[in-house]
Amino acid sequence: MSKIQEVKAKVEIGKTKLVPGLVQEALDEGNAPGEILQAMVDSMSVVGEKFSSGEIFVPEMLIAAKAMAKGVDVLRPLLAGDTSASLGTCIIGTVAGDLHDIGKNLVSMMIESAGFTIVDLGVDVPAERFVEAIKENENVTLVACSGLLTTTMPALKEAVQTIKASGLDVKVIVGGAPVTPEYAAEIGADGFAPDAGSAAVKAKEMVA
Amino acid sequence: MLTVKQNLKEVLTGGNPDRFVKQFEFMQMIMSVPSCRIKPAIGEEVVNEWGVTIRWPEGQLGSFPVHDADHILLKDITKWRDYVKAPNVVFPAEAWEKAIADAKAVDHDNQYVTAFIAPGVFELTHYLMGMEDALMSFYEEPEAMAELIDYITEFELAYAKELVTYLKPEVIFHHDDWGSQISTFLSPAMFEEFFLPAYKKIYGFYKENGVELIVHHSDSYAATLVPYMIEMGIDIWQGVMTTNDIPNMINEYGGQITFMGGVHSGVIDHPDWTKEQVEEEFTRACRECGKLYFIPGACQGMGVSSFPGVYEASDAAIDKMSKEMF
Repeated sequence: MSKIQEVKAKVEIGKTKLVPGLVQEALDEGNAPGEILQAMVDSMSVVGEKFSSGEIFVPEMLIAAKAMAKGVDVLRPLLAGDTSASLGTCIIGTVAGDLHDIGKNLVSMMIESAGFTIVDLGVDVPAERFVEAIKENENVTLVACSGLLTTTMPALKEAVQTIKASGLDVKVIVGGAPVTPEYAAEIGADGFAPDAGSAAVKAKEMVA
Repeated sequence: MLTVKQNLKEVLTGGNPDRFVKQFEFMQMIMSVPSCRIKPAIGEEVVNEWGVTIRWPEGQLGSFPVHDADHILLKDITKWRDYVKAPNVVFPAEAWEKAIADAKAVDHDNQYVTAFIAPGVFELTHYLMGMEDALMSFYEEPEAMAELIDYITEFELAYAKELVTYLKPEVIFHHDDWGSQISTFLSPAMFEEFFLPAYKKIYGFYKENGVELIVHHSDSYAATLVPYMIEMGIDIWQGVMTTNDIPNMINEYGGQITFMGGVHSGVIDHPDWTKEQVEEEFTRACRECGKLYFIPGACQGMGVSSFPGVYEASDAAIDKMSKEMF
C-alpha cells in the first residue's frame, strides 16, 4: 500500500494519532500536498456514504473528520494560497429560535471535509445574519441552514427567503429532522439533505 | 371493565385488554422525592448538581446543557476524576415523608407508584463533556469512558437504593435518549459494550427490589437496540418514534417488551395543532400497531404536551379508537 493510500485508509477509520505522521511521510515520499488532500476528501466521501447507509454511526464519522483535520493541519502551510481544491466558502447555522447544534456541527464537519471553507454562525441565527455573513466573507458559494424543530420551520423559511431576496449569488441547502425535500422546495431552497453524509455530496453537486 | 392496571397487564402479556392504554395513565410520578436535581425554569440558567450549566431560554421547548469553552465541565476525559463529582443522594428519613405520603395516596387499582429518573447514563456523559467529545471518546479513550460510565452507574445505584428503601416504587420511568430520529447515536456493538452492563445492573437492582415494571424513555430510532433493551429488563420502551417499524417490532419482540408511542410529538404538538390532526395520527398508529404489546402515545417523555390541550386531545383520540377497535 502506498503512503497516500495508507493516509486514505487511516482517515476512513479515524486514526487521529496516526494520520499526521502518515501525511508527513506521504509528503516526504514526494506526493503533492493537493494530491494528499484529495485522498483525504475521498476518504470522507466514503465515510459520508457509510453514515448515510447506516453502516457507521456518529462517533465513527466524528473521529474520521477529526483525523482528516489533523492531516490538513500538516498540509496547511504547504497549501497556503492554493485554492484549487476549494469549493468556496459555506456559511452554516441553525435558524432563529432553535438551539440545536449537534446535527449542524456534523454537517459542518462533513461539508468542510468535502473541500469547503466553513464559517459557522452557531445557533439561533436570525435570517439577516446569514445575509450579512455572505457579504462579509469571500467566495461564498453555499449557505446551509438547519432547523430541528417543527416550531422553527417558519424561521427556516424566513432564512431561505431572506437570503434569496438579497439577490446574492449563493445556493442554499437546508436540513434537519422535520425538513422534507418537499418542504425544502416549497420554501425556495436549492437543495436538501437528510443527513450529514448526504449533505456533503449534495453540497458538492450544488456548486459544481 | 378492567382497571387501568389490569388492562395494561393484558396488553403487556398478550391477553385480552378491553381498550387501549391511554399514554401515561398507569403511572403516577412521585415528584416530591428528595432529589439533588437542579433544573432551570424558563428563562433561567443554573449550575446543576454535577456542575453542568443548564440554560432554558425563553421560547424554547426545553433546557440545554451549555458546552462552550467557558462552561464545559469535563475538559479532559482522561482526567475525569478531577472534574466529575457525583452529588449526594442520601437524605434523612424526614425528607422522604412527603413522597411516601404521596405514594400512599395513589389510586392503587389504577396507577403504579412511579419514580422518575433523568438524565440517564448516556445522557450524563454528554451533559458533562458535550456530545461530540463524548462520542469521540468512546473510540479515543475507551478505558476512561468505561470508568466514567461505571462511576455514573454507581451513582444511579446509590440513588436506587434510597428509592427502594423509602418510596418503594412499583414502576421506574427512566430517561436516556439513545438516538436521533433516524439512527442510534452508537453502533449496536458499542452500545452493548458500554451500556448494556450498566443498565443490567441498574434495572436488575430495581427488579430485585420490588419494582414491577421498567419503562424506558428514548424518543428516537432504536429498533436495533431492542434485543439489549429486553436483556437489560425494560418492559416498556416509551417514546418509540415512527421512524422505527413498530408493527414489525411488535411481531418480532411482542411478549418480551411493549412499545409505547407511535405518534411523533412534532407532528401533533405545535402552536397550530388541531383535533383533526391528532385524531388522524392516533387512528393511523392504533390501526398500524394493533391492540397488544402497544400503548398509543406521543413520543414526549412525560404525560404532558408542549402546547395546551394536545395531551387531552390525544387521550380523547385514543378513546375514540378504543370504541372503534374493541
